[in-house]
Amino acid sequence: MSVIESVKAAIEKVVPFSETVIPADPAGEGEEQQPDQVVHSAGAKEVDFAKTGCSLDVLCTAEQILDVAHALDGEQLFIESIAGVDWPKEDQIEVVYTFSHFQDSDVRVMVRLRVPRSEPKVPTISKVFSGADWHERETYDFYGVEFTDHPNLIRILLPEDADFYPLRKDYMP
Amino acid sequence: MSGYWNDILVGSKSLVTGLMITAREFFKPVVTEQYPYDVPEMTPLFRGHVELIANEETGAPNCIVCMACQRACPSDCITLAGEKKEGEKKKSLTQYQLDFTKCSLCGSCVEACNFNALQFSKEYNLCSFNKDDFIIDLVKRLEDQN
Amino acid sequence: MTLPVHLRHDETFVLNLGPQHPATHGVLRVKLTMDGEYIVKAEPVLGYIHRMHEKLAEAGTYPQFMPNTARMDYLHALAFNHGYALAVEKAAGIEVPERAEYIRVITVELNRIASHLLWWAAFLLDLGGFTPLLYAFDDREQIIDLLERVTGSRLTYCYMRFGGVYNDIDDEFITGTRDFITRLRSRMPRMYHDLVTHNIILIKRIKDIGFISEEQCRRYGATGPVARGSGINYDVRKNEPYSVYQEFDFDVPVYSECDSMARYMVRMDEIEQSLRIIEQALDKLPDGPVMAKKVPKILKPGLGYHYSAVETARGSLGHMLVCNGDKNPYKLKLRSPTFSNLSLYGEVAEGMLLADALAFMGSLDLVIPEIDR
Ligand code: SF4
Ligand code: SF4
Repeated sequence: MSVIESVKAAIEKVVPFSETVIPADPAGEGEEQQPDQVVHSAGAKEVDFAKTGCSLDVLCTAEQILDVAHALDGEQLFIESIAGVDWPKEDQIEVVYTFSHFQDSDVRVMVRLRVPRSEPKVPTISKVFSGADWHERETYDFYGVEFTDHPNLIRILLPEDADFYPLRKDYMP
Repeated sequence: MSGYWNDILVGSKSLVTGLMITAREFFKPVVTEQYPYDVPEMTPLFRGHVELIANEETGAPNCIVCMACQRACPSDCITLAGEKKEGEKKKSLTQYQLDFTKCSLCGSCVEACNFNALQFSKEYNLCSFNKDDFIIDLVKRLEDQN
Repeated sequence: MTLPVHLRHDETFVLNLGPQHPATHGVLRVKLTMDGEYIVKAEPVLGYIHRMHEKLAEAGTYPQFMPNTARMDYLHALAFNHGYALAVEKAAGIEVPERAEYIRVITVELNRIASHLLWWAAFLLDLGGFTPLLYAFDDREQIIDLLERVTGSRLTYCYMRFGGVYNDIDDEFITGTRDFITRLRSRMPRMYHDLVTHNIILIKRIKDIGFISEEQCRRYGATGPVARGSGINYDVRKNEPYSVYQEFDFDVPVYSECDSMARYMVRMDEIEQSLRIIEQALDKLPDGPVMAKKVPKILKPGLGYHYSAVETARGSLGHMLVCNGDKNPYKLKLRSPTFSNLSLYGEVAEGMLLADALAFMGSLDLVIPEIDR
């Protein structure tokens, strides 16, 4: 079994695969609807590597992320980055994790999850991937996403006394 | 114990080799440039701050005040103004101010200009204690050059 | 009962290394908890040169961010140019002419050598050797002169454009590069290996120091020479070939000793591999335009997420671009390699001697503006 297939099998146990549940475009369909009506249901699907640079796109819920991380850790993937994306229209903040593999080429898993802007709380995965520690701190720093159970959730790049989250779309210096 | 003596032997040999290499370099010609006496020549593509190009016949700037360069600049360095003079088809430039303190020499302005009105100068001797020296009036600069 | 001071082993003190310390290569501060000369806990403190490039990217149009890319990793600026250009080209579906890709590879590899040479010089400076710095700068200067010829700048290049490069290379550049390859090849064994690599003082300082296991690399996401010095055969140029790298025959140096010496050797071998790539690229250089036709002035890539990775001198650089059909990027995430590489510093430096920890830090090849972005 190739790496990508076993990764798929591992993810399948946590997040079911489906072709339809993920909105094809992140903002497009949601724009006309009311923010609270937008449902980004969990699901995973394969995407074109040449076009997006990822081979799997996984949309999960905040509760599932720890299980996903354990599954990917079991498959020997390494953590590449954690990023936030602010979607003010939908009143959500998206956290995007990317994982990649050292040996097998063209394996990149993008895990996305959305949390409400008013109370962005995500369980930390720094216990699974130690490198996530700093990436999570950076996301907290820029977006104010709170990673619960994080051992040391303090500002990393901005000064300690900063009281703003600069990458939120409504922040204007 | 043999590792210890071996280390000393191999180690001293490596040090002697190193010293010999440095000693040989002593007698090689100097590679540095003695700057103020020995001025480097700028390559044709060298990017100094931008400057206006004058029309070959009239000596007036080629610029037609289309503002493309101002819009392309990532750091808002360019402030320009122009007016339409009586009896002329095109607008003519009255003011072109470059804030060189913010310029990143990216070349976006030069590329944005479709009228062959901007180019990079070959100026590299730029230093000053005063920030205002780098707010450069390019129209005046062009006039001084002519 | 209180013990006299010299017997109290639980007594630690905090030592601030940096932010203005010559061995931290910029403004990095490491908060060290020391027990005598031994490190109990090391905590890097970042952000002293943070400029929020990600917000700047959102504020301007796609081309307007290009000059910023060079300001992150100023030592391998062209790779950052390349990575950003590739990410946007992927998102906007722009085809790049082959000649332009070859020129990109040549310049990026030249820049990689310059970066490794500077790392080499600075690393040895950390360890107390001043002479090698001057020799390395002599060679690096040649590269910078060559690159100045084509790009117009010496350090912070803004050479790549979406759909190609700023201008074509000329014959003088090609002959100059060939001369440089011969020159560096002839100097490598003597000036670099005989003088430094085999030097007993260097070996004693960095061999078996700073052990990073393969597992640690994976958990922290370390890439580049750090991972390759721990026996991981991972190079983005090979693993997910971008640009025209699949056309060239080159090896990925891997050492499995996991210590600072292994990372040193990886970089030294990489210089030679880069020379090989440049040589092949010059031989194969096709004719044609260096800029794609019909690149729209205002780019508006459609909705979607795009990740693109390139290999810089320090590891895998990722650009995650979220586009929403606007003329500004909706979100640009920069995954900088040294950020991940440095994050394992605390774990590895535990229990080390301070002097060793500095040698270890040097072997990570830190460029602070890239960590802080
Ligand atoms: S070179 Fe770039 S930064 Fe400088 S004025 Fe032109 S567009 Fe602006
Ligand atoms: S783009 Fe050229 S013609 Fe237009 S305003 Fe700028 S300098 Fe003048």
